[in-house]
Amino acid sequence: MSKLLLIDDEEGVRKIFSLYLRKEGYDVLTAEDGEKGLRIFEREKPPLVLTDIKMPGMNGVEVLKKIKEIDEETEVIIITGHGDMDLAIQSLKFGASDFITKPINDEALSIALERAKERWNMRKKLKEYTFDLEKMIEAATEEMRRRYEFENKLIQSSIDGIVATDEKGVIVIYNKGAEAIFGYPRNEVVRKMSIFDLYPPWIAEKFRECLLHKKCKRLYNWDQTTIIRKDTQQIPVAFSGAILFEKKEIIGSVGFIHDLTKIKHLEEELIKSERLAAIGQTVAGLAHYIKNVLIGLKGGAYIVNSAIEKKDINALKNGWKMVERSIHKISTLTLDLLSYSKKREPQYQRCLPNNIIEEICSLFETHANRHNIGIIKKFDNSISEVYMDSEALHRCTLNLISNAIDACICDHNYHDKEKSWFVEVKTILEENNRIRVEVTDNGCGMDENTKNRLFTSFFSTKGGKGTGLGLLVTQKIISELGGTIEVQSELGKGSTFTIRLPYKKMEN
Amino acid sequence: MGKKVLIVDDDPDVIMFVTSLLEGENCKLVVAKNGEEAMAKVKEDKPDLIILDVLMPKESGIRMYRELKTTKSLKDIPVLIYSGISKRTFLRSQATLAEFGGEPVPAPEAYIEKPGEPEDILNTARELLTQSSQPK
Repeated sequence: MSKLLLIDDEEGVRKIFSLYLRKEGYDVLTAEDGEKGLRIFEREKPPLVLTDIKMPGMNGVEVLKKIKEIDEETEVIIITGHGDMDLAIQSLKFGASDFITKPINDEALSIALERAKERWNMRKKLKEYTFDLEKMIEAATEEMRRRYEFENKLIQSSIDGIVATDEKGVIVIYNKGAEAIFGYPRNEVVRKMSIFDLYPPWIAEKFRECLLHKKCKRLYNWDQTTIIRKDTQQIPVAFSGAILFEKKEIIGSVGFIHDLTKIKHLEEELIKSERLAAIGQTVAGLAHYIKNVLIGLKGGAYIVNSAIEKKDINALKNGWKMVERSIHKISTLTLDLLSYSKKREPQYQRCLPNNIIEEICSLFETHANRHNIGIIKKFDNSISEVYMDSEALHRCTLNLISNAIDACICDHNYHDKEKSWFVEVKTILEENNRIRVEVTDNGCGMDENTKNRLFTSFFSTKGGKGTGLGLLVTQKIISELGGTIEVQSELGKGSTFTIRLPYKKMEN
Repeated sequence: MGKKVLIVDDDPDVIMFVTSLLEGENCKLVVAKNGEEAMAKVKEDKPDLIILDVLMPKESGIRMYRELKTTKSLKDIPVLIYSGISKRTFLRSQATLAEFGGEPVPAPEAYIEKPGEPEDILNTARELLTQSSQPK
């Protein structure tokens, strides 16, 4: 603040002041009347103006007014004579900083200038400070806007529905995800609906308790529920909610809603495709088995035909046996398929269980002997004549013994002459009116994988020679009777199949 | 006589069928019920043709075929695969085994899917036997 404009019509005053002020370090501009002074002011913009009050033409008060119009900040000091007190006071009203009286006392001038300078500086600082403050507020506002925008975008871009309310449950935030799930457009919801109208009743009730009755502090995590859309369509969702607090005061609530439609749909698709795959496997397994039967038929027919040509009666017999075996195979398969697909009503009749099993054992005797497999029978003699489903007992035991013999033949060490192969068939009378039949072999046994797949699909380890239906049918018959089947097996050591079938005591 | 044919199948009906097919062919027929037994017979006396099933409860045809085709002295014996599984599945299983570190093996000399026509089996066997008699 070194520039200073001095306006005075007296040249002497201008000269003396200029000298003094320059000595004080001011860059002094001078003008002899108001108009010239204003021109210089407009050009140079000095922060400090000293002006005489009584001048020809424009007087000091007018100069003051004009200057203040141009730049309010300018410090204007009025120089007055003795008789100009009224004017001086008026000038103060118009914003003069100070006035000094003629004849001018250097000290008084210095003080006035000093004060003006101080005021000017103060004002400048204040202005700077205000400016900074405004800038800061602007920056803070911008930052807030940005954050708000960011959060808003965050909320809006969420695929999950987000619904936030005030403390009364009135919805204030409702994003696009929520729009998609609930089906109500934003403008029908925000500030117009409460969550009690939007959420499923049981969830709404929880929120009501929390918000209105202040009964709980926390809500729950992901819960599966169904939302009924505006168009009454039902949407499976996972719902998570929370109550919002500020300094322990409830300020609102928020709910996150995750649409499960697609996941549910995918799950259904998966189940469907698994089912199709199972059907595919079943059909492939069956086709394979039938193919094998077909070889027997085709081969048998071929042998029969060529035997007739050659008139070879032995070959004819062999060929015909092959055809018969194939017929037997296909009828067993058909029977198994029927048993598997149809519900069978248990047929209780008088029978001697031990006798039935004895018959089956003798049925297999020749076959087992040919393969050096011994059949060991351990029957419980306390089993007498009972009422039971003899056909079920027959079919299940037959299947298990046949499997046990196959397990011995299948064993890798089958040619080990030292080992004595056996199939042990045990009957035990149990409590609760049950007969237990155990079929144990020391054949190949099963690993975990095989054991796990035993009853699950048309699974067979007998190459192309089994349908995998046998155990499935056995299991089905047993479960229809209310019995049980259990397996114990170790790879390379053998297996034990245990079935328990219900019976009724004979009334004497 | 002099040609020797090894028939490998666990199904006695198939064995009976194939043996009756080849009965009139003036060759020695040897049978085996599984891969293990068959390999023993191959090593004992090299056959001129092997008719091989794939799915057998003991050592499968897949493994036996690999063993044959990766053994220098045995790899030239022609193999006719006679199986219920498709050729595509058989080749894929061999490719998978090769992928997991096994040696790649060539495709079998002939492949007939069960049940097949008796004439096809007979003609193919005859063809392979003629080829195997020619010097390589």
